[in-house]
Amino acid sequence: MAQVPVQTIHRDPQLFYWILFPITIVMILTGVLRHYATVLMASAPKKQDQKTTREQRALIHGINVRGNFHVLSRPSFETRRDALTTAYESGAYLKDPENRGQPPPNPMSDPSAMEGMMGMMKNQMAMIVPNTLIMSWINAFFSGYVIMKLPFPLTIKFKSMLQAGVATRDMDPRWMSSISWYFLCIFGLQAVFNFLLGSENAANQMAQQMNQMGPQGGANMFGPGVDPNKQFLAEAENLAVIEHYSVLDGVEQRLLEGIKA
Amino acid sequence: MPSERELQISPVVQESLVHNTRTLYNLQSLTASLFGVSAGILGLESYAGFLFYLVFSLLAATLVYALRVAPTSLAAGKPLLDTSRYFRGAYDVWAGGLMNGFAGFVLTWTLFYGLVRA
Repeated sequence: MAQVPVQTIHRDPQLFYWILFPITIVMILTGVLRHYATVLMASAPKKQDQKTTREQRALIHGINVRGNFHVLSRPSFETRRDALTTAYESGAYLKDPENRGQPPPNPMSDPSAMEGMMGMMKNQMAMIVPNTLIMSWINAFFSGYVIMKLPFPLTIKFKSMLQAGVATRDMDPRWMSSISWYFLCIFGLQAVFNFLLGSENAANQMAQQMNQMGPQGGANMFGPGVDPNKQFLAEAENLAVIEHYSVLDGVEQRLLEGIKA
Repeated sequence: MPSERELQISPVVQESLVHNTRTLYNLQSLTASLFGVSAGILGLESYAGFLFYLVFSLLAATLVYALRVAPTSLAAGKPLLDTSRYFRGAYDVWAGGLMNGFAGFVLTWTLFYGLVRA
């Protein structure tokens, strides 16, 4: 196989100062801005009336009893279980008991549900708007410049991605244009944001997308369109099937073994 | 894996586990960027650079184990190279750095390679 000579391109060093650094700095500052915009736009959790809170807390109480039954003694657990099951089945904790058995209202008509969707929309906008702006900014000002060489070889397929706007057929795909530096920044700047803003930051778009795709079991538990009566009945059933044992069963034996060893 | 019963007798505190994992993640992404800087300044290309990254992130994981995990973990009777005292899985400590820091590594590697060499 013939050795392909290494391409060298002489570039003005000013390219670094007028293209590379501006793009990098703008990307970092946009991340910082996005973080603070998200912090400022975050709507405070809405205050709920007493009945709703009681309904949710009662359900959480049942879940906690179910999860931690092993630290309760048997009579204590059974008292709790009986009280909770009776209350669940009679609907004592329901927000509006006369609505039992009726289908839940349409989530679109519920104003509190719209609130949550607005929050999601806001986050999406905070991600999309700056990205679109920066991309068009780079395309308008810096398209067609070759600024850098990747330190690792790539196949020819990457050429159209990395050298968008550079119409040179024989150039090595390792050379990259300003727009591909922008993409590299999108993926790689997380470490910088971690360092600047702390690991809880909202600057990273990748992490946010991951979160949105991930399971949302916890968030939807009290979401709109869920019938609390059904949740209560299911929880009563869960409590009823627990086979109780205490973590203190046989503790004397374990203690003696621990001392002996 | 310990049984459910054993976990209830000596529970795993979720918050501490999350805190440990986050600290490890921060360390991994920061070191990966620094490895990228050094690989770029050294002018490594293609395989040499990726090999550099592999070796050094494994070295970083070993140092984390040797300096932070091992002293108390071995004293508590865990076998050698076992990280279950502080982290959920062995994967997080040993190979997590390779995945978490890779994008940062490529970014700084390209940047410094471009600034110094090309």
